[in-house]
Amino acid sequence: MRMAYYPGCVAQGSGKELDMATRWVCRALGIELVEFPNFSCCGSGFVDEANEVLNVAINARNLAIAERAGLDVLTICSTCQGMLTLANVRLKDPAVKTRVAGALKPLGIEYRETVQVKHLLRVLTEDIGIPAVQAKVRRPLAGLKVGAFYGCHLLRPADEMAWESAEEPHAFEDLLAALGATPVYYRGRVMCCGFPIQFVKAETAVTIAGRQILDAKAHGAHAMATPCPLCHISLDAYQNHAAKAVRQPLDMPVFHLPQVVGLAFGASPEELGLSRHLVPTDAALAKLGAAAP
Amino acid sequence: MSPETISAQFDVYRYDPSDGTPPHYQRYTLELTPHTPVLTALLRIRAELDPTLSLRYSCRSAICGSCAMQVNSKSRLACETHVGPEMERHGRVVVEPMRNQPVLRDLVVDQAPFWTQYDRIEPHLKLDPAHPMPEGKTTMMTPEQVDRFKETPRCIACAACFSACPAVEADPAFPGPMALAKLYRFVVDPRDGAHQDRLVRIQPNGLWLCLRCHLCTEACPKDVRPSERIRDLKEMAIAAQGATENGSRHVVGFKDNIVDGGLLNEMKLVRQTYGTFGMLGQVVQGLRIWRKKPEVIHKPHKIQGAEELARIYDALDTDAEAPK
Repeated sequence: MRMAYYPGCVAQGSGKELDMATRWVCRALGIELVEFPNFSCCGSGFVDEANEVLNVAINARNLAIAERAGLDVLTICSTCQGMLTLANVRLKDPAVKTRVAGALKPLGIEYRETVQVKHLLRVLTEDIGIPAVQAKVRRPLAGLKVGAFYGCHLLRPADEMAWESAEEPHAFEDLLAALGATPVYYRGRVMCCGFPIQFVKAETAVTIAGRQILDAKAHGAHAMATPCPLCHISLDAYQNHAAKAVRQPLDMPVFHLPQVVGLAFGASPEELGLSRHLVPTDAALAKLGAAAP
Repeated sequence: MSPETISAQFDVYRYDPSDGTPPHYQRYTLELTPHTPVLTALLRIRAELDPTLSLRYSCRSAICGSCAMQVNSKSRLACETHVGPEMERHGRVVVEPMRNQPVLRDLVVDQAPFWTQYDRIEPHLKLDPAHPMPEGKTTMMTPEQVDRFKETPRCIACAACFSACPAVEADPAFPGPMALAKLYRFVVDPRDGAHQDRLVRIQPNGLWLCLRCHLCTEACPKDVRPSERIRDLKEMAIAAQGATENGSRHVVGFKDNIVDGGLLNEMKLVRQTYGTFGMLGQVVQGLRIWRKKPEVIHKPHKIQGAEELARIYDALDTDAEAPK
């Protein structure tokens, strides 16, 4: 299976461990990642708020790059997934399509809307399939209770994303169970991490993150796992601030989605970049009897 | 033939401030058909099992907006939520009052926080004295102008969106989805003369606290899609006033960042949002992150074809939404 790999900004920068883990897992599953040095940022929802049509146009440009190569796009970020998908949806509006096509045409770019955008979670659970994933498990995550944290834009707005139930999703929990972990169901798993307002009003943002972590903890989670590196920043890198905001210790290890898959497939903590996390993952690894990073 | 019945378990939030017991859940079991609305079940509980259960309702037809509550953690109208699917998904029906409003008793909340935020946006037409309504005409709007706010009049003020909103939950300053969707309706109304003032005043501790998580759009029983109206407001607010708040500076800075090199430059964006001086407040946390993730201060490479983004931007810059 070949896909156009869309790593997004964070996995090419401070979230490099997500990129490392993605490459490891895709290699293990025979997913060939085709790279395009001309992919731009998806706009992360911010460009959409500055200029809706511009946001569609920059993503139509990204999708056209994959289309020329005859490939569907693989994302590893809930927000990238949301923005690229939204471009495909909004292009169905003839007025938007005309303006976008008009901006792209002078650059010799035409997008014919044939590209499907799929997050790694969907590729693992639908295209590769749970049985094939399960067959690769060498070190089942037995004894580890994991709270999946989906990230808003992978699921919502529901009419546009439409690949999984936005209200009661289960793909991530199905995957965790296939890896041998015990999925934890809690209200916060489909809530917001607070990231979009981290730079607007930090105390509100970290309060939101803290509440979701507390919720996962109250339901018995030893660790959380997220398909979104922006959620990872909120839940991991800012967890110290979140703990202060909710006035409780949190100590919650937070994995990127391909890191939990990689762990179960037998990758080492170094190969998955676990030492780059702000909250140590040792306590969760100890549950598995794996060496701490 | 009567339809098949199921045995449904209801765990209902109970709280009576006058009896000194803390809030608790009370279990009731009913035999009913799967398509029974949760509201009908609650009324049966009250009539047949427990006359002390308090709840708010009126029309039972998803018109009045009175019976919003949480059913299995989702804010929705009890009158249009059926018991069968809830039982299938959760094995029981947990019924709780709406969030983000103080509980008065059982499922009844004090809606004051919701209505206070609604009042804040001054939800009435403020006619422009320079453009009085033409005498003898009932309307001065074209169908196209009315179309711009065709969703918002559907709102029945049930407060399901207010209950579902994580920004409201964490920060009482945030006006909430319904108030902002209503504000949008006045900002795009061609009869209103205060659109500029409305867009300026909603920004501090207001508009920019929206997380664009779309939980309001999910909760809304009338498909008003508040998160999309809030997005429109943000675009119009920048057009009206430029980047004057952390929120708008972040949005404009982000756009500039992408148009410039194609990828996000995290350090540059933080500087654009906070200013060089304001950035000092980020130093301690920044260093903490940098120790583990040194790339956070690296300038990202320019993508191949970055100049294409600048040209796309030039072609579409004038598209940003103006108030009217």
